[in-house]
Amino acid sequence: MVIEGLLYTKDHEWARIEGGVATIGITDYAQQMLGELVFVELPAIGKECAGNDELALVESTKAANDIYSPVAGRVIEVNDKLESQPELINQDCYSVGWICRLQIFDTKSFESLMDSKQYEEYLAGR
Amino acid sequence: MLQNSTDNGSGLHPPESSARRTVLYDWHCRLTDKSHIAPFAGYLMPLWYSSISGEHKSVREAAGVFDCTHMGVLGISGLGAAQFTDLLTTNSIASLETGRARYSFVLDSSGAVLDDIIVYRRDTEDFFLVVNAANHAKIKNWIGAVLEGEVCIDSEDSGRTASAKPQVQDLRDGDCKGNCMVEIAFQGPKSLDILSLLIRDDEARMQIAGLRPFAFTETEIAGIACLVSRTGYTGAQCGFELFAHPEKVPRLWEAALDAGKPLGLLPCGLGSRDSLRIEAGLPLYGHELAGEYDISPFEAGYAWAVKLEKEFFVGKKAMERTSREYDMKVARIELPGTKGIRPVRQNDSLLDEQGRCVGWVLSCARAGETQIALGYVDRAALKKDDPVGLYYTARSSSQVRQGRRESTKKGERLERDLTGKVLDRFAKF
Repeated sequence: MVIEGLLYTKDHEWARIEGGVATIGITDYAQQMLGELVFVELPAIGKECAGNDELALVESTKAANDIYSPVAGRVIEVNDKLESQPELINQDCYSVGWICRLQIFDTKSFESLMDSKQYEEYLAGR
Repeated sequence: MLQNSTDNGSGLHPPESSARRTVLYDWHCRLTDKSHIAPFAGYLMPLWYSSISGEHKSVREAAGVFDCTHMGVLGISGLGAAQFTDLLTTNSIASLETGRARYSFVLDSSGAVLDDIIVYRRDTEDFFLVVNAANHAKIKNWIGAVLEGEVCIDSEDSGRTASAKPQVQDLRDGDCKGNCMVEIAFQGPKSLDILSLLIRDDEARMQIAGLRPFAFTETEIAGIACLVSRTGYTGAQCGFELFAHPEKVPRLWEAALDAGKPLGLLPCGLGSRDSLRIEAGLPLYGHELAGEYDISPFEAGYAWAVKLEKEFFVGKKAMERTSREYDMKVARIELPGTKGIRPVRQNDSLLDEQGRCVGWVLSCARAGETQIALGYVDRAALKKDDPVGLYYTARSSSQVRQGRRESTKKGERLERDLTGKVLDRFAKF
């Protein structure tokens, strides 16, 4: 499942851009591939990162995977529910399973992101 | 994400085109999403159908059925079969009764473990070996080379060769027509009830019910000729492995799913196969045997399967030395595993009560609210019920930047992240 209006990375993160703030998560394809998530390492509030920097870490029963920031920014909020309920990402990765919010530094990093149609095509080509 | 994964087989990559489909591939596609099917040992195998934890639970509480048709099945038969099999493997074949199976190892002359196997004796001179899928080609070639005298089998007598010359057949995918057979496994407390539903003949039903562990018989299940063995790789007290002709296996699978559904049977993938064997303490070649630490059968807890009193077997000289001088062992360890606890993984460090590193994790799986790890630890440092500390090794470069260690050495002091305890080496369920 791919949602319209979000931006996507080739590594299967999504970003929802609203008024200078980006909400970040992983896509349905990613959560399907990873299976049952059992642990999420959230970034510290205030952490600053460039586009494609390591942002968080999710671990399923089989694998640990880094999550890279789709945009450059500063972490202003994290979904701390994920610390005790990592399965929220499996339940709905685009809403209750969001990971963190970033204050966006600049929009330059958007250029490498895909819209929902491009991401769908990208998935189809895999 | 998905760039820097420590993933060990769940495969977030498109299936390799070279991977083969098992005879149950169409069933896997029907029962789960294609993204849960990945290459393993040259075959496209299901990692899970519904969920690893749900499938694990079904085997502990009801029953599960596994596609094991990727496992290698090699026949050794004809004059000299018993003598040859006894020379090839570490356990006693001479004392193995017809209709019984035995766990054993195949070594080279230097004592390196080539595989762990189950030897089945169908008749005085008729055996078959079930070998790991990943080692199938290696073992097949090894047996051929031993038969032909192309490899050294005795480190102290390079002229020694196998005198017996039985016939060796690849029963999984060789040119064996009617003889071919591959495996599916039925495991869990309800597995006998489900099998019973598929047997029409009362006498055959009694025979299956009366099978002792590691005994087998040949009968019809759902009208299909099967070899039914009371063996398994899940630690289930009640569990069976069925061998049948590959063309018949899809029908057997369908009959099992139909009969088992009302009793809670689930089809199970490689994920739960792994978590179940870890919980039971059973080794996986490359992890708890051989592998990175070159773990010997003695360290793995299987001294009883290496019969040093035999006159000869390939690797015996090396095993005599190894049996006297090993200081590490495989231990089964319970660690907390409630939600929000970071999963323990291969190469995390195990600590004694003083916080000194005494070994490393080889495999780990979740079982309910706990995690069960198999660790490679100092033989003298940890005993049953001893507390064990766990230190997470760094999983990402940002953890390294924060000061977490990428690797550790024995004897180093480390700060524990979790505390668990040593369990019995093996468990039955």
